[in-house]
Amino acid sequence: MNWKTKRKLFIFVFTVPTLLFFCLFMIYPIIQGLYVSFFDWSGGSETKDFIGFDNYKEMLNDPIIGHAIYNDYFLVFWKVIGIVGLGTFFAVAVTRLRLKGAGFFRQVFFIPNILSVVVIGVLWNYIYNPSIGFLNSFLSLFTENKVEISYLGDEAYAMWSLLPPAIWAGVGFVMVLLVASILNIPAELYEAANLDGASQWQQFTRITMPLTWEQIKVSILWVVMTTLNGSFVIVWIMTEGGPDNATQVMGSYLYQMGFRQFHMGYASAIGALILILSLITTLALQRIMRRDTHEMS
Amino acid sequence: MQKKWGKSITLLLITALLLMLAAGCGAKKEETKTEPTTTPETKTETKTEPTTTTTTEPTKTEAAGPELEGDFELQYFVGGYGDAFWKEAIAEFAKKYPKLKIKESAGPKINDQMKPRWIQGNPPDFVYIDGAGSNATQMVKDDQLLDLTDWLESAKNEDGKLIKDLLIMQPVKYDGKVAPIPFVFGTWGIFYDKAEFKKNGWNEPKNWDEFLAVSKQIQESKKMYPFIHTGKYPYYINGGLVDTAILVNNNYDTSIFDKIQALDPGVFKSDAVKKALEQVKQMVDAKYIDPASAAINHTDSQSLFLQHKDAFIPNGLWVENEMKKDVPPGFEFGFIPSVTQPAGGKLVAIPYTSTIGVAKKAKNPEAAKAFMQFILTEKYAVRWAELTGALDNIKADLSQSKDVSSLSKQASSFYNSPDTIVAPYIELNADVDKVKQDSTQALANGKITPEEWMNRMEAAAEKSRGKK
Repeated sequence: MNWKTKRKLFIFVFTVPTLLFFCLFMIYPIIQGLYVSFFDWSGGSETKDFIGFDNYKEMLNDPIIGHAIYNDYFLVFWKVIGIVGLGTFFAVAVTRLRLKGAGFFRQVFFIPNILSVVVIGVLWNYIYNPSIGFLNSFLSLFTENKVEISYLGDEAYAMWSLLPPAIWAGVGFVMVLLVASILNIPAELYEAANLDGASQWQQFTRITMPLTWEQIKVSILWVVMTTLNGSFVIVWIMTEGGPDNATQVMGSYLYQMGFRQFHMGYASAIGALILILSLITTLALQRIMRRDTHEMS
Repeated sequence: MQKKWGKSITLLLITALLLMLAAGCGAKKEETKTEPTTTPETKTETKTEPTTTTTTEPTKTEAAGPELEGDFELQYFVGGYGDAFWKEAIAEFAKKYPKLKIKESAGPKINDQMKPRWIQGNPPDFVYIDGAGSNATQMVKDDQLLDLTDWLESAKNEDGKLIKDLLIMQPVKYDGKVAPIPFVFGTWGIFYDKAEFKKNGWNEPKNWDEFLAVSKQIQESKKMYPFIHTGKYPYYINGGLVDTAILVNNNYDTSIFDKIQALDPGVFKSDAVKKALEQVKQMVDAKYIDPASAAINHTDSQSLFLQHKDAFIPNGLWVENEMKKDVPPGFEFGFIPSVTQPAGGKLVAIPYTSTIGVAKKAKNPEAAKAFMQFILTEKYAVRWAELTGALDNIKADLSQSKDVSSLSKQASSFYNSPDTIVAPYIELNADVDKVKQDSTQALANGKITPEEWMNRMEAAAEKSRGKK
C-alpha cells in the first residue's frame, strides 16, 4: 500500500461512515418529515391521504401559527440580549474588572447549564407559583396586601415570565466561552491601553469586543438556533403553550398538533416551517455579523 | 514490521466502523419496514425497557370451555390504576384457556411504544385505551378498532349475563356503531373537606344558590378562596362545572350531549349553554375563583386544595387515591357530582371513562372477545374497585367489600339514586375539545365573555364539520 492509497483510506475511514450516519439520522428524517407534510395523516392510521400543499395553505390561515412565530422571535430577541449581553458582562467582570471571587462566580453561573431544562422548568414553576411561590412571597414583604400575580396564567405576563429561566439557563455557557477567549488576549494590550489613558469602556469596545467577536458571534448563533429548535422544552414544561395559546411557540404547537390533536401531517408541515425559518435566520445573521477578523499578532 | 501493524489497525478500524454502520442500519430498518408478519415483535419488545413481556406458559390442569388457542397479545397502559388488576385477570384467564400463548405489552409508555405496530398493521389483539398518547375516538377514526356492535348485542359474560345490561354507561356510538367499550367508570364532581366545613360552620352545598351563599361566606372569612381549578388542564372544570350546568339548564334532557358530540350547528349557542356559561361568569364576577388557578396543573391545584388554600375543587374520583400521601390528618373528602342545579333540582353526573377494545387487525379476535367477557363480570368489578380504588363500568354491589374507598362508595350511592342523572359519555373531536378547554380557561380567568366562548366553539365546530 503506497502512501497515497493509505491517505485516501484514512480520509475514507473518517468521512464516509460519518456522512452515512448523518444521512441516516439527519437527512433521512428530514426528508421523511417533508414527505409526511404533504399528507393528511393522523399519526395512528395505516393509510395516509395525499393532499399536496393543503397543510401549508392551512398554516397561512391559522392565527396560532403567526402567534407562535412571533413568540419564537420574541424569545430569540430577548434571549440574545439577555444571554449574550449578561454573559459578556459577567465574563468581563470576572476577568477585567478584578472582581474578587471570580472563580466562585464562574462556577455559580455555570451550574444551570448542568441542570436539565426540565428541572429548570419545574424549579421556576415553583418560583412563579401564585400562592405558595417564592416570587410572590418575596414581593408580599413590601406590600400591604398579599401579591397574587399568576405569572404564567396571565396572557400579558406569560411570555415575559419564560425569559428569566431561559436566560438563567444559558448565561453560564456564554460566560465561560468568553472568559476563555478574553484570557487569551495578551495582557500587554490592556497595559498599553491603560498607559494611554483608555477607560474600561474604551478598552472593552476597542480591545475586548473586536478580539472576542468570533466567540460572541458563535454565542449569538448558538442562542438563536437552540431557541428556534428547542424552545419547545421550556414552554412545554412550564405552560404547555397556554394560557389560551398565549405562549405557543412553533415547537410546542407542532407537538400539540401532532400528538394531542392527531394531525401528524400538519405537524410535519410546522416542522418544515421551523427548518426554513431557522435556515433563513442563521444565514441572515451570518451575513449581518460578518466583520473583518482581527488577528492578534 | 511497523507498516504491517499500521495496516492491520486501519483494517480493524474499518471493520469496526462498518460493523457499527451495519448495526445502525439494521436497527433502523426494523422501525421503518412494514412487516405484517409476527417475527419482529419479539425484537421490539425486548428493546423497550418499561415493557413487561411475560409469557404465561399454559398449565394443563383446568379444562377449558370453547377451544381458544394460538397467540394472544394484550396491550394495557399502566398508570394511576397500576397493573395489579390486569396481572390477576390475565393469570386467571390463562388458567382457563391453557392452550393460549399469552403475551402482555404493558407499561407507562406503552402507547408510544406500540404505535409503530398499529401503523404497520400489526397490532395486539386486545387493548386497554388509557393514558397519554391514547384516544379512543381517534382510534375509531383511524379505523384501528373492530366493530363490536353485534357482539355487544348478544355477548354474555362468564356468569351467563348479558353484558349490555350490566354496563353502567353505554358505549359511544360512532355513526351508529360500537367499537370501544367503556371499562373504567367515574364521574367528575366538586370536592371539599367535610371536616373543615364543619369546623367553620359552612354548609355543604346541595344546589347553586347554596353554593354561591357558602362561597360568599368563605370569601368573607378570608381563610381561603372558595374555588380553585386546574387551569393548565381545563377539562377538570369542564367536567365538574361547565358540562353539569349545560345539562341542568337543558332541563336534564341529555339529548343535548348527543348534539354536542355530533357538533350540530348552533348547539354551542343554545340557551342551555348560554345559561351555563353565565353561571361560570357569576363566579368570576364575584371573584370566587382563586387567581392561582390560571396556570397550575392538577397536582399543584390539588395540593393547594389539601392545604386549605381553597374550599372547592372540580376533580375526578381518582383524586383521593392520587393524593393519598399528601392528605393531611383529619381531612375528610366530601363529594357532590354537581352544584349547578337549582334548589329542588336533580344532581347531574358527568362521566369519564377509559375503554377497552379489539384491534381490527387482531390475529386472535376470538380470544380478545373472550377476555372481555371474562373481565366484564361483577366479580371483576369488585376486584377492580379493590385493587385500584376506582370504579369500573359494571353494575356491582360494592358495599360488601371493605377495600373499596369511601369516596367510591359515596359516589356509587349517588349513581344509584333516582335523584341523580348520569349524563351519557361523549368524547369531542380533539380539535374542538382543545378550543373548548382554551375558551373555558379564558372564561374562568375573566379574559373572555360567554358570547366569545360560544362564538369560538361554533367556529371550531364548523371548521371540524368541514373537515369530515
